[in-house]
Amino acid sequence: MRLFLAQFQGELRKLFARKRTFIGFGVFLAFEFLILFLLRLERVQASFRRVVENAGYGSGDYFSGLTIGFLVVVWTVFLLEALFLALVAGDIVSKEVEDGSLRMMLCRPVSRGRILWLKGIVSVFYTFVLTGFVMFTALIVGFTYKGFGALFVYEPFEKVFALHEFWPGLFRYLASFPLLSLSLCTITALAFCLSCFNMKPSTATIITLSVLFADTILKNVPFFESISEYFVTRRMSVWVHVFDPRIPWEMMLENYAWLAGINATLFLIGWLVFEQRDFKS
Amino acid sequence: MALSELSLTIERGEIFGLLGHNGAGKSTTFGMMLGQIHPDGGEAFIAGHSVQRERAAALQRVGAIFEAPAFYDYMSGWENLRFFVSLTGLVSQDRLKEAVRMVRLEERIHDPVKAYSHGMRQRLALAQALLPHPEFILLDEPTEGLDPEGIHEMREMIRYLRDQEGLTVMLSSHLLSEVELLCDRVAILHRGKMMFCGSWKSEELRWKLDLDHWDRAASVFQSAGVTVPAPGTLLLPPEVDMADVVASLVGAGVRVRSVEPVRVTLEDFYLEHISR
Repeated sequence: MRLFLAQFQGELRKLFARKRTFIGFGVFLAFEFLILFLLRLERVQASFRRVVENAGYGSGDYFSGLTIGFLVVVWTVFLLEALFLALVAGDIVSKEVEDGSLRMMLCRPVSRGRILWLKGIVSVFYTFVLTGFVMFTALIVGFTYKGFGALFVYEPFEKVFALHEFWPGLFRYLASFPLLSLSLCTITALAFCLSCFNMKPSTATIITLSVLFADTILKNVPFFESISEYFVTRRMSVWVHVFDPRIPWEMMLENYAWLAGINATLFLIGWLVFEQRDFKS
Repeated sequence: MALSELSLTIERGEIFGLLGHNGAGKSTTFGMMLGQIHPDGGEAFIAGHSVQRERAAALQRVGAIFEAPAFYDYMSGWENLRFFVSLTGLVSQDRLKEAVRMVRLEERIHDPVKAYSHGMRQRLALAQALLPHPEFILLDEPTEGLDPEGIHEMREMIRYLRDQEGLTVMLSSHLLSEVELLCDRVAILHRGKMMFCGSWKSEELRWKLDLDHWDRAASVFQSAGVTVPAPGTLLLPPEVDMADVVASLVGAGVRVRSVEPVRVTLEDFYLEHISR
C-alpha cells in the first residue's frame, strides 16, 4: 500500500507539475466570468424571466447564485471540460511514449499493467478534480453575483424542469458533483484508451473530441430519438436528473451501469494494446 | 527484420560491447533484454530468469540507460529519481544521496532537469540506473553526445562500476576507440545479424617485416612456428620472441631491413568483419 501511494503520488506530481494540466482550470474561471457578464445583459435576463414566469413562478426568487452555478455547469462541461479531459487523458500515455520517459519506466521490474492502472486512476482523479473545480467556482461566482436563493433548473434536452428552495437546491447541486464526474469519466476513458495506441497525443485528443461531437450531433437529430439509448452522450447526460423533483434512481443506475461497462471495456482495450506494443527510441 | 538469430552470453563481471551501424539491431537487443520489445521467437535470460516470462524477477537487479535519457523536464533531478525508484520499491534518502554523489550531481540535483546539460542528464540517468543496487547494467550509447571530458568521466565511471562495485556491464557505442578501451569482449551486429562474438584482441602478435630474401626466410619461419598471412606480414605465437626470429633470419643469411609491430585496432577488426 505504501508503495502504491508513493507511485500514485509520483504520477500526481507529474500531472500537476505540467502547465497544460492547469489550462482547463484557468479557462473555466475565465469562462465563468464571461457567462456572468452575459447574464447581466438585460435581454438575457428578460429571456430568463420569461421562462420562469411562464411556469407560474416569480423570476426574482430563482435568479440566484445556485441557478447561475447550475447554468454555468450545464452549459459548459460537456464541450469545454470534455476538451480538457481529452487533452490530459489523451496524452497521459502517448506523451510519455513520445518523450521516451516510458522506456525509462519500463527499465524497472514494474509491469505494464501496473503503470497503466496508475495512470488510469490518476486520469479519473483529474476528472473529479476538474469537475469539482468547475462546480465549486461556478457556485462561488454565482453567490458573489446574486447571493443565496432558490434553484431553477431547466434542461430541455433531458426534459428536466425543476424548482428547489435554497437548501434542497444546494444539496442537489452537491449531489450532482459525483454523478457528473462519473459521466465525464467516459470521455477520460476514451481518450485514455486511444492514448495507449501508437498515435500522437494530439491525435488521441482529436479523435476523442470527434467521437464526442459526432455522438452529440447524432443524438440531437430528431429522427434518432427512438434509438437515443445507443448514444453515449445521452447516457452521460443522465446526471442532470438528480435535479428532478423525484429522482429516477433506477433509470440513472441503469445508465451508470452502461457507462461503467463502456469505461471498463475501453480500459481493457487500451491495456491489451499497451501490453502488445514494442517501445523503441 | 530488426534482428535475426542472435545468441550471446555475457559473463558475470565483464564489460561487453555491442557494436554495429545505425539500425544494426543494438537498441532492439537492449529493448528485448528489458522486455520493451517482444521478440518473434526466443528468449533473453538475466540471472537465470526469462525476461519474456518472468520480467519482474529478471530485471530485479538490472539498471539501464539510453542514448538520450528522457526525464521529466519540469521536475528536479531529485524528484525524477524519487519517481523512478518508486516504481519498484522505496529506497532510503541515504541511498539516493549516495547515487547522486557517485555521479557527482550533488550541487545541481534540486534544479529542474530542463536546466541540465546532456552530460548531466546522462549522469542522472546513471544515478537512476544505479539506485536499485544493480548487478547488471545496460548502457545504450552512454557516451553519445558527450564532450571529451564527459566521455572520459563516463569511461572512468564504467570501469569503477565493474572493478569496485562488481557490476556486469553491457554497452553499445559508435565510438570504437571507447569500446576498445573498455570492453573485454564484443559482439558485432550487421543488418540484424551477429557477425562476431568474442574477444577481438588476438593472442597472436602481428609484425611487418622488410627482407631481401623471402624464399630463404620461409624455412626459418616454418621452424619457428611463424605464419605469413600476407606478403610482408608475420603472425607470431605468444611464446615466440621476434628478436629470436630476427637472429635466426640473420643467421640464415637474410638481410632484415626493418621490423615493425602492427597494432590491430578494433576499427580494423570491426571493418574486416562487416565487410565479410
